[in-house]
Amino acid sequence: MLTKDLIGLIANASGMKKKDVEHMLSTTNAIIRENLMAGKSIQMQGLGALEVKARKERVIVHPRTGERSVVPSKSQLVFRPVANMKDELKKI
Amino acid sequence: MGDNKLSWTELRRALASRAGISEKEANTFLNAFNEQLVVALKSDKQVRVNGLGTFKLQAVAPRKSVNVSTGEEITIEGYNKIAFVPEVGVKELIEGRQMSAVSEANEPIDPLKKLGAQAEEIVDILGELGQKPIKGQGDKVQSTNDDGQRTKEEVVEPEPVVEPEPVVEPEKPEVPEKPMEPEKPEEPEKPKKPKKEFHFMRDTLICVVILLMLLLGGYFFLREQLGGWIDELVNPQTEVRSEQVEASPLPSPEGKGEDRVQPSEVSYQPAEEEWTFEDILVVEEITEGSRLAWIAKKHYGNKAYWPYIYAANKEQLPNPSIIPVGTPIRVPKLSAAMRDTTDERFLRIREEARRKIEN
Repeated sequence: MLTKDLIGLIANASGMKKKDVEHMLSTTNAIIRENLMAGKSIQMQGLGALEVKARKERVIVHPRTGERSVVPSKSQLVFRPVANMKDELKKI
Repeated sequence: MGDNKLSWTELRRALASRAGISEKEANTFLNAFNEQLVVALKSDKQVRVNGLGTFKLQAVAPRKSVNVSTGEEITIEGYNKIAFVPEVGVKELIEGRQMSAVSEANEPIDPLKKLGAQAEEIVDILGELGQKPIKGQGDKVQSTNDDGQRTKEEVVEPEPVVEPEPVVEPEKPEVPEKPMEPEKPEEPEKPKKPKKEFHFMRDTLICVVILLMLLLGGYFFLREQLGGWIDELVNPQTEVRSEQVEASPLPSPEGKGEDRVQPSEVSYQPAEEEWTFEDILVVEEITEGSRLAWIAKKHYGNKAYWPYIYAANKEQLPNPSIIPVGTPIRVPKLSAAMRDTTDERFLRIREEARRKIEN
């Protein structure tokens, strides 16, 4: 499902205009991005949390040549669903 | 709220102010968003949210497992897992943020990095020394080996000294092999460097183990010696008897058995008579790692009697604790009186032996 369809769903459910919803969604995402950049995790009620996780630098070995190289440390955006949501979606 | 969390309320407020709507509206929207996301996931298993990423439902297949307590086989049912894949732009943004923010995390693994750099350097140097074609060149040679002319030229360039032959013979099959050969030893060279690190660690480990063994050995050695002395203190024998004139010296290996018989055959004798050690039970040759206390233990059943062995071999033992291997040691017979470790004569002999050791 694409963003457009989701917007339609949200508009239907909340009784708001699609255009407004679209605007709000993009604004929300912008806010979320900014906060993630600031190192904050986003708590979304009933959904879960979007977090930035630090991945450490590590050494990898090329299986064929045995060459070693270093994967630099980086951070990743991860989504940690709330237990409720997890359970709800376990079985459909 | 907290410094590293953006709460629901904060998000709502930020949205309201940014989008120019009331907080209530913002709340409605956000709630609807969450609700519909779940609904959408249920129906479609995949929801893309522009500017954020894609939420996915991933099916985890059922698998078999074992009940840990009963050992029964059970089946863990399949289920759906929620996965989130950030949008490419967002991912890059976040990864970029990290570079500046968590640079201090680099430091602990710095030596490894250095090692990698070193390995590369060494490979470069080796390549130069051997004048070996680098990988790219080797590949080129291989690909052009159909026409002998060009191949020859390219092969000659990397190693003019080693192989003049390819120039003379336009032999095709041999040519591609030449550049390949020097390349092979080059490849295993790369992992060699890091391996060295492990060698170093292994060596350290071996050193530690050896040290431990030495310590243990020293401990047991000390215990042996001290144990002998403690035995002397703990088991003083009160009988004061002397040896009867026994039959001929029997160099029999079962010295112990003979010892046990002895006390019954001895008779009483006045105490202060110097002991002699003429009667020889057996002659033992000192072997590697052997010592008087052990010989005493072997033949008398008690380490504490080692001074007698010393006394019987005084002439050849300048120091009872340092005996050259192969020295024949006469093991004297013990009289019952000699078995009394509180006897003055025994103490004297022991004193003398110890003094010799200390000197």
